Order: sequence, then structure tokens, then C-alpha cells
Amino acid sequence: MSINKNILLFLLAAIGLIALPHIENLPSSVTGYFYLLLSWRLVGVWKPQWLPTKLMLLLLTVIGIAILYSLHEGIFGRDAGTRLFVTALGLKLLEIKSERDLYLIIFLAFIVATSLFLYQQSIFMAAYILVVCCVLLGTLVCINSSHSKTWHSLKTAGVIIAQALPMTIVIFILFPRVEAPKWMYFNDKHQAKTGLGDNMEPGTISDLAMSDELVFRVQFTGTIPPPAQRYWRGPVLTQTDGKRWTQNRIDLSQPIDQPKLTGNPYQYILLMEPQDKNWVFALALPADVSSPLRRNSHYQLVTSANPDKRTEYRITSYPTYNTGTITKDEYQEATQLPGPASANVTQLVQRLHGFDSPPDKFISQLLNHFKTEDFYYTLTPPLMQENPIEQFLFESHRGFCEHYATAFVYLMRVAHIPARIVTGYQGGELNQVGNFLDIKQAYAHAWAEVWLENRGWVRIDPTAAIAPERIEQNINIDQQVANGIISFTPNSASAAVDWLKNARQLWGNVDYQWQRWVINYDNKNQSKFLSSLGISDLKTMIYWMAGIIGLITAVLSWVLLRNPGQPTDPAVLAYQRFCKKLVVKGLIKRPGEGAKDFSKRAKKSLPEQAASIDLITQLFIKLHYGKQQNNNDLQRFESLVARFNFKH
Amino acid sequence: MSTLTLKERFSLSRFSIGEKATDKPVTLNQRRIFILPTDRGLGFAILIALLLLIAFVYNNNLAYLLAFLLASIFFITILHSYRSLSGLVLRSGQSKPVFSGQAAGFNIHIDNSTNKERLQLKISLLQTTETISLSAHNQAQVVLHSATDNRGWQKAGTLTISSTYPLGLFRAWSPLRFNLNVLVYPKPANTELPFPETPASQSEQGTAPAHKGNDDFFGLQSYQPGDAIKHIHWKSYAKGLGVFSKQYDGESSDQIWLNYIQTPGHGIEERLSQLCRWLIDAEQAGISYGFSIPGLKLEPANGQHHYQKCLEALALFETS
Repeated sequence: MSINKNILLFLLAAIGLIALPHIENLPSSVTGYFYLLLSWRLVGVWKPQWLPTKLMLLLLTVIGIAILYSLHEGIFGRDAGTRLFVTALGLKLLEIKSERDLYLIIFLAFIVATSLFLYQQSIFMAAYILVVCCVLLGTLVCINSSHSKTWHSLKTAGVIIAQALPMTIVIFILFPRVEAPKWMYFNDKHQAKTGLGDNMEPGTISDLAMSDELVFRVQFTGTIPPPAQRYWRGPVLTQTDGKRWTQNRIDLSQPIDQPKLTGNPYQYILLMEPQDKNWVFALALPADVSSPLRRNSHYQLVTSANPDKRTEYRITSYPTYNTGTITKDEYQEATQLPGPASANVTQLVQRLHGFDSPPDKFISQLLNHFKTEDFYYTLTPPLMQENPIEQFLFESHRGFCEHYATAFVYLMRVAHIPARIVTGYQGGELNQVGNFLDIKQAYAHAWAEVWLENRGWVRIDPTAAIAPERIEQNINIDQQVANGIISFTPNSASAAVDWLKNARQLWGNVDYQWQRWVINYDNKNQSKFLSSLGISDLKTMIYWMAGIIGLITAVLSWVLLRNPGQPTDPAVLAYQRFCKKLVVKGLIKRPGEGAKDFSKRAKKSLPEQAASIDLITQLFIKLHYGKQQNNNDLQRFESLVARFNFKH
Repeated sequence: MSTLTLKERFSLSRFSIGEKATDKPVTLNQRRIFILPTDRGLGFAILIALLLLIAFVYNNNLAYLLAFLLASIFFITILHSYRSLSGLVLRSGQSKPVFSGQAAGFNIHIDNSTNKERLQLKISLLQTTETISLSAHNQAQVVLHSATDNRGWQKAGTLTISSTYPLGLFRAWSPLRFNLNVLVYPKPANTELPFPETPASQSEQGTAPAHKGNDDFFGLQSYQPGDAIKHIHWKSYAKGLGVFSKQYDGESSDQIWLNYIQTPGHGIEERLSQLCRWLIDAEQAGISYGFSIPGLKLEPANGQHHYQKCLEALALFETS
């Protein structure tokens, strides 16, 4: 085989690295198959006779196809396509006959590298791929400079990448982004993500409290609302069977009265991480929004953009609002009860003056009841199977936010006050470096909303009554996840400042900027950014791109192509010494002037040296242009030049 | 450096055949170097298009970034390709004459006076390709072999220096023409004919060979039974040419005449071929030989200079 062993090893290393992160993304049958082929090929580097024969190769191909077929994914779409390319790459490895095959393998490897970005877009992944690309290009350099050392090739590849980076960045910024037409979306099945759902049972939220997964990030253009104002509104649950709460069945898209929004608005950019559901968690209460966002009749924001993609939204919210009247349908769904209330419940409502006093009073009585009675806020309440609300109210007295919210709404409804459950997130960890909030799954929360005459829907958070620190302080997610008990971080700065936290916030900020400016640089962000630079239409974009690329090319050409170098021909070097001596007499050889012409000029101004100038010139022409090299001539020439001097 | 006329500059032949042949050293520069993508380069372009499609469909910015990076690399490689040849100085050397049928070797001198390493330079002439690498401030000599079949001056034609360094996506090449000629002698005949028995000079004077004496060597003749053993020409025997006995001529001459007219053979080439064989043998045997072909007569002599003059005359006989 004509392929150099070094090149093969180099290539196989690069291929092994490229497929490594796919272990997490692809079924083990595919990655196992791939790495089996790769190891086979690796062994074949030393034992070429062990490589598969044509028949075996055919058999392996059939096995590969069988594996792909057994996964029932077809060949289109992210997962199926990736599997196909990984399998093809593995098979191609075993059939390296010529340099052309190496190129095909490297091209396939670049496609597999790209497919990694469809799964993960972190900085680490980008850096990793950059390094692997360097190795792949190094292989190409190796192929095209057969005798060069591996390390040298790698360095050359690195230099080429470094030289290409400025141009890459310019193209990245200026290349027009167009959203792909809808028919091009492939229906990819994804693993279900954790997060809020459209229904709630006891335990739903407390499960989330154990997850530090990022849900969204918010950057405010003005002031950041205090922790007690940070209610991020999600799905509103109205229907209940006593245990399970669900969204209602009425059409959420029907128009409702415009709420009266007052007070200082908060303006912010919300960057949603990839989600299953098309919900956008806005601060209460979002003002009118434009496409792709829509506000449904529960004042919840939903998006028509693909929720599986990280998307950025600009939203304005007003902390004080009045939603006005309630419709008949709304009233009906907000007073729905699974059945007649039990005697215990009626007794409790009566005791708290639920039937005979205004709703305000009953609400404060009830909250007070939670506060003064023996109620506990805990992540791990006892299991409540049969009738969780009554069990919580009268027996265990232990519950998480969902227990307090459901019990509260239930009692309100018993007292004929329209009430409903709002789920969403509460709080947010402030990143002091980038001045944005991180909202993680652990911040999932459920609270209540009651409708009051003249005030509309009003937010009441029973959790705030029993555990005000939940609302006013940050959850200490690390401890909470580690220990399984609710933990808070005081807001005071002194406790927050330790270097680990600073480092983490710094990294969080880098990650946020990466997400915003690189991953999420779509056509909207692009036009916004470019118009701030005065580039508004496609034509100018292309002109700018061509112009800057031209400029970069010019700079690179200058850097790469200057330095014509020093001649090595000893005759030329000696002749240059001769010319240098003549400079003293004001005789400078023009670039492009021949040796003969120059000697004519020199003789004219130095007639007494004419003989030696002639001799030197003749010898030089003979040495430099003549076909026969003669060492004696060269020595004579050099000594003539050395002896050439002016008599004073 | 000479400049090109407008017509020359736009002549397509510069791409493949090269500029006018020259004796001078040629420095490779923007006028001489041409660059086009290789088929691998085209494959790479298709790869970039595919990555862009993936990026577009999935609206994935990192995929875009990778596609743009590869596109930038593709573009920048053009400069590197140019750099792999630019500044090299090529000079033609002298080539040794060969007999027809032997491979002619053309000498090319490559001077890398720059501080850049040149890797995998391919220098090709017709079917033969030599690959060399030149470190910075170094020079090398390359001998390109080319088959010969006709006697006379053979031109080297266009030689091409090319490189696909660094990534093999582009090929930079420069077609060069030097006044590189090699003299091709006729192919020596394979026959075992003895030297002409009659010295040409004597036959001209009308005297027949008198007798075979012992005084002066005059030629070789196929061994006849009865010839003295000490007269056997062992040199030709050793060469496997057969057994010849040395013929000595009492009056003259340790010399023979190789005469075109008296050389057996059909047509010019066969005769020249035979003459060539005799020349080689005579030179090797150390015999003085006179040489006569129409238009040239050389008095008997011996030695490299004479030998080459004769061969040259054979090579160029009746060629324009």
C-alpha cells in the first residue's frame, strides 16, 4: 500500500476524535459498530493482511445497513442523517486504496463534525471541533508534503486556520441569514425534556426543584425587578379532579379585554433555551407583543417559532395591572370544583369567614391560617394519594408550593371566589458580571390568582406566607440538589462574594454572550446589529463583505508573499558585493538593468577601472548564465571582486 | 526581465506550453505561475456547499461557522499555493548526448533562495515526474529523463513544475521552456560485422591490400582457421562480439577508414547505425580511425574529441 503509515495513524486519530462526542448522541449499536471498524483499521496499519477482503467488506456493509434499518429512522433528519454518515465513514475507513480515498474520508469527517453541532452548540464543542479540524487539515498537509514531519504538518494546519479566522468572522457577521422554509424542517423525535407541563399533580414542581438545568436567561435594559417581583408566568391551570390540575378546554386564543397596564415597565431580552413546549415565560404582565409571540387569554405568552431552537425575545412587562371584568366562561372555569366540598373543608372556610366576609378578608385570613398554624414548607412532604388537598390541610401540614397553591385555590372556589393556579418560575440568579438573570428549573413555582371586583386577576402567593424566604432569597440550587432539602442563599452581597461564585458567574456570562451573539445570531439579530453599523440592505451587506474580504486578502498576501529572499548562488552574492562597491561612486544598478548595460555605464564613469569591470562582468555572465559551472572561474571571480578597489 | 506583448500575455498557450524558450534562469513569479483547483479542491467546494445546506436547514450558526471557516481556508490556500512556487529560480543545465533508444537526461537546476521550505515540488517532462523538497536557502539538481528514438537534436520541450502544497486543493504550476537540447546519436547496430577490410584511403588510391603482414595493425577480420592465436582480438571476444583476428599491414597503418559510402546497409539509418557501431568499437580498441561521410572527412585520429566529433557528424547527418 502506498499510503504512508504516519498519515494513516494521523487520520485515524482525527476520525476517532471526531466521532467521540457522538457516543452521547447516537445509539450504542451505531457507535459500537463504528469504533469496531476504526479499531480494525487501526490494527490494519501494522497488519495489513488482517484487513477485510472484498467479501467481508460487503458483509460489513450489509451489517451496517441492517443496524440503520433496525433503528427505523429512514435517512433524513438529524439523527438518521448522522447515523448514516457515521456508518459510511466507518466503512470507508476499511477501504483505503489511494489518496483519493483519504480525501473522501476527510470530507465525510467534516460532515460528521458538522452533525455534532446539531446536538450541542457549546463553546467547548466549538473549541473541540476546531482542534479536530486542525488535525484533519494536518492530515491533508501531511499527504501533500510527503516527507514532512507530523508535528510540522499540524503546525502548518494551525497557521492556515489562524489565517482563515478573520475572514471567517467577517463572513459569519455579514453572510445574509435566511430562515429555511418550513417544508425543510425535518420531524426529529427528541427526548422529552424536563420542565413544566400542562398539568400538575403533587410532586410535579418539587421534582423540578432538583434540577439545575437552565430554562431561560433575561437581560434587562433598565432596572432589574426585585426578587419579590420576579414571577415568570407560565401555563395557567383551572380544571381539577381534586388531585390533578389541567389547563381548561376553552379556546385560549379568543380575544379578551385589554388589561390596563400602569407603573414603570420592565424591558428585557429573554433568551429561551430549547424547550418542548412553545411557552415563553414573561414577567407579569406582558404588554402587547408582536409575532412570533402571542398572548393568550391567560396572559401567557406562546411563540410560533420552533421551541426546540434557542430563541431570543424582546418583551416589555408592567408590574401593576388591572385585567378588568371576568367573562362568563372564565368565571365558570375559575369556580369549577371536582364535587361538593366535604364537611371539614366547609367548616374551615366558615371558620375563616369565607362565606360571610369580602374576599380580601377571607384571603388574608387564609394566609394567616397558613402562617400561624403548624404548616411547614418542605420539598419532601409525605405521600398524599387519596385526597391530597384535605390530607395536606388537615393531616400532614407539610407541603411544597404546589400544595399551598392548590389548597388555596380550592378553598377560594369553595367560597365562590374565582381562582386559578398559575405555574411558572419565580426568582432568578443574578449574574453580576453580565448583569442578567439565570432562571433554572429549580425556580419552578406554582402560585394562585384570584379575581376580585375592580381589580381583575390578582396574584396571591400562599408560599410567600409560609416561606417568605423562598420569594425574597435565591434558592441555593447546589445545596438543594445535593441534599434534597430546600436551601436558600441570602441576597446580601457579602455572602455571595466568594471566588468560586465569581468564577462561575464569569463563565455564565461568557456562555450567555456566546449564546446570544454566536448561537443565536439569526436574521433578526443580524439586521439589528448591522443596521446599528449603518448596513441596512442585502446589497450593502454583500459590498461590505466583498470589500473586507478583499482587504484581508491584501493584508494576507503582503504578509505571506513579501520577502523575495536572498540569492544563494555564490556568483550572484559576489556580484552583489561588486555592485555595493560601485555604490560609493554613485553607480547604482537599476532593478531590471542587465549586467552588460550596467558595466557600460560603470566603465563610462570609471574609465581607469574599465578592464577589471569588464572582466568581472564577463566572468559573472559566464558563471551565472553559462551552462558549464567551473569552480576555478568562481574562485577567480570572487578574488577579482575582492581585489576590486578604487585608487585614491 | 523581458516584458510580454499584449498578444503574448493573453495567449492561452502560456498555461500549458509556456513562454518562449530561454537560456536564462527563470524566476517563478505571478507571470509564470498558474493556479486552478484540483478535483479534490472541487470536492472540497461541494463539501462546503453541503455544510452550508445543513446550516441553512437547521439554522445552525456553528455549522455556518464551520462552513465559513472551510471556505476561508479554501480561499487562503490559493495564496499558499502561489507561495509554494513563487521565488524559485530554475536554470537549465547541460545534458550529455545519448545514443538513440537510451533515455536522454535533461538537467534542471532549482534554486530556492528564499527562507521558505518548499515541499513536494513535482517537476515533470512528458511522462516522467521527479518529486523533490527543498529546504530554505538550498538548491537542487534534477535530471529528467526522456525517451529518444530519432537521432539529431532532441528538444526537451515544455517542462512543468507544480505543487499541490499545502492541502492539495489547488495545483500551482508553471510551464517552462528552456533551450534544452540533447544530441542523440544513431543507435549502434547490433551486427557483428568486422571493420571494413579496405582502408578507405588506400582504396581511393587504387592499391589493393597487399598482404597481411605483421608490422602494422590495420583492422579486424573474422577469425579464420589458421590465424595466429596472438593475433586474436581478445577485446572484442571478451565483449561477446565473436572472434576476430587482428590484421596487420606491413606498409601502413595502424588506422582504418570508416567510410559512409562503403558501409553496408539499406538506407541511411542502417548505414549510420553500422558506422556508429564501428566508431564505438574502434574507439574502444584504441585504433586510429579516419571518418568520411558526404560533406565531412576527418583524418584518422583517436581519442574522445575525435570520437565525439564523429558521433556528432553521424547524429546530424542530413538533418535540417
